[in-house]
Amino acid sequence: MRVASSVADMQYAIQQSEQALSTALQQVSTSKRVNQLSDDPVASANMVRSLADSANVDRYTSNANTVLAKLQTADSALSSVVTSLNQAITLGTSGANSTMTDANRQAIATQVQGILTSVIAQANTSYQGTYVFAGSDSGTVPFTADTTNADGYVYNGNSAVNQVQVGDSISLATNVPGNQVFTAGANVIGSLANLVTALQSGTLTDIGVATTAVSTALNYVSQQRVPLGNAVSQLNSQETYLSQEKVTLTTQQTDLVGIDLATAATNLSEAETTHSAVLAAAAKVLPETLLDYLR
Amino acid sequence: MSLSTTLNIAVQSLLANTGALQVTNNNIANANTAGYSRQTVILQEAAPATNGLGSGVVLEGYQSIRSEVLQRQIEQQTQEQSSADAQVTNLKQIQTVFTTSTVDIGTQMSALFTSISSLSTSPASSSLRQSVLTSGQNLVTAFHAASSSLTTQQAGLNTQVTQDVSEINALTEQIAALNPQLAALKRSGQDGGTLQDQQDQLVLSLSKLTNVSVSQTENGETITTGNGTALVVSGESFALKTTSGSDGMQHLVDQAGTDITASISGGDLGGTIQVRDQVIPGLLNQLDTLASQFASAMNAAQAEGFDENGAVGGDLFTVPATVTGSAADISMATTDVTAIAASSDGSAGSNGNLTNLSAVQTTKLPGGATPTDAYANLVYQMGSLTATATADSTATAASLEQLNDQRSSLSGVSIDEESVNLLRYQQAYEAAARVVTTINSLFDVTMSMGTNAAS
Repeated sequence: MRVASSVADMQYAIQQSEQALSTALQQVSTSKRVNQLSDDPVASANMVRSLADSANVDRYTSNANTVLAKLQTADSALSSVVTSLNQAITLGTSGANSTMTDANRQAIATQVQGILTSVIAQANTSYQGTYVFAGSDSGTVPFTADTTNADGYVYNGNSAVNQVQVGDSISLATNVPGNQVFTAGANVIGSLANLVTALQSGTLTDIGVATTAVSTALNYVSQQRVPLGNAVSQLNSQETYLSQEKVTLTTQQTDLVGIDLATAATNLSEAETTHSAVLAAAAKVLPETLLDYLR
Repeated sequence: MSLSTTLNIAVQSLLANTGALQVTNNNIANANTAGYSRQTVILQEAAPATNGLGSGVVLEGYQSIRSEVLQRQIEQQTQEQSSADAQVTNLKQIQTVFTTSTVDIGTQMSALFTSISSLSTSPASSSLRQSVLTSGQNLVTAFHAASSSLTTQQAGLNTQVTQDVSEINALTEQIAALNPQLAALKRSGQDGGTLQDQQDQLVLSLSKLTNVSVSQTENGETITTGNGTALVVSGESFALKTTSGSDGMQHLVDQAGTDITASISGGDLGGTIQVRDQVIPGLLNQLDTLASQFASAMNAAQAEGFDENGAVGGDLFTVPATVTGSAADISMATTDVTAIAASSDGSAGSNGNLTNLSAVQTTKLPGGATPTDAYANLVYQMGSLTATATADSTATAASLEQLNDQRSSLSGVSIDEESVNLLRYQQAYEAAARVVTTINSLFDVTMSMGTNAAS
């Protein structure tokens, strides 16, 4: 083939190797293989999905933290209630003793009344300004004194349970409605109120019955704590899972658009070598003409 | 044979070699001229004398070395490359809008769902409610940015169409003007030479703008667009016109007033029209569909619950009734933090309906994909379109490079070759001049013959 001039070929070769060098340089400086969508459209689209998954993992983690704190507040309130009920049972048992004087029973009744007040205070526990045991009606004080009610207190909340998502398919209850814990089933508030009344009346059998009712209520509250404890441990394991998932997703994202430094550096030095070879060749070939030898 | 005949041969030789030196000189002068085809001198033996002895050399003429087939292939590749380049340039600008950043639609959509999810942990918190509204507004802004970047690009391309058309018209006029001159040269059996080079360069420039087909007639080159609309016929050129269409875009019409916009392909004009009329409307439509369906899904989820005041949830987003323009016109329907329908039972602390709002993220829209997937598809398409155009551009650049190599191999000027020719013709000239000197001295001898005898 007749070769008229190698200038155009050289220009093309230099452009190509410069392009390769610039790509390699960009990959090293950004540690990314995909710097614009067209570098790898499939990876770019998967990146969108992966980032959405990451955002979800982040919000599940943050939700789990919030729910955990809330559930722990509820659990510690119920733990205090259990302690209070145990005290009430001890007091009730001693009040049922026939050797006890009426005056002493009145004193015990006052103590049990005090226990009832502290149980109500626990039932009105709030977390960050919202009442823990008010159902979904979290802005309302759950239990207030009401003489028209047999128990002496009325429940102002509702029986709704709020669920919070802490995983793609895991939702957890963030609250136990106050009426379920304190007035339904073995009525905690009612049984304490009855014990006070029985102690005041001094009828031994009534005191005995009322005390038994309080122990039933104690068992009931303990049972209510079980799901809370379960939820707390579920949250802890979910948090561990989420942190692993976050690592998996981050790795996935690096695989999708990233490039490891060793590969990038190798690519760069390869591109550099090619580029300097092309330039050296151009420098040798281009200035040569027959005229150099015709002197 | 007489001395004067020999002298004639020497003079012819001097003339022929001077002509050859001129050609060499012209080749060297145009070594770097774009589109120049090297010329050669045609030397021929002069008609022989009666005794069979040759009678010198005749300079027949000059010839340009070129291949019309190769030229047509180069034009073909040039229009493909210009088309791909026009697409690459524009698509690369558009794709930045869809590239993952802190403000792209995908990220803002995730942020909205994150704020909704956070609200579920404390549905009555007004700061968390405010954050849902802020995220919603950010998503609206992201939709606006994407949509406006597409329409701005489209408007720029529309201007480009008008510019390309006026360039095409200027070129066809120049090509037509050359046709009669070239036809006259050809009829007299002469080589088109410089004029043909000029015309080839003009047709190549035209190929950068649009796909044309070229055919040779005895009246010069006839040039038509890809679909057969005549641009140049013998000495006459036919200008393309642009008129504003009902879609607000510039449409191309031929002499007869027929709209030929859709049939234009190749070249900068073809690539520009492709992006303006196919790619951008396609992307805009998907973006509008996503905005419209997403807004409807969120509004439907709102309506299933109750706001903080216990009323049935109202719209969160406002979109136009038609899908077209949804991405550009989507807006927040409310700035009231109590309007978020978190509650499923009417009480302010309930978060039951936030599940419905969150579920929009994982529920398929009427389009058949979840919002995230729909956006991911858009991102894929954007990247894929750009990648395909880039690959096209690279491939045609490589084949164009090869064709240009071939052309250069045939028609290009080699300085080395011309240097050798220079020496060759110089030597021949010197030799012919020596013949003249020799004949001259022979004349002297002949002249002085009588003088010597007399003395």
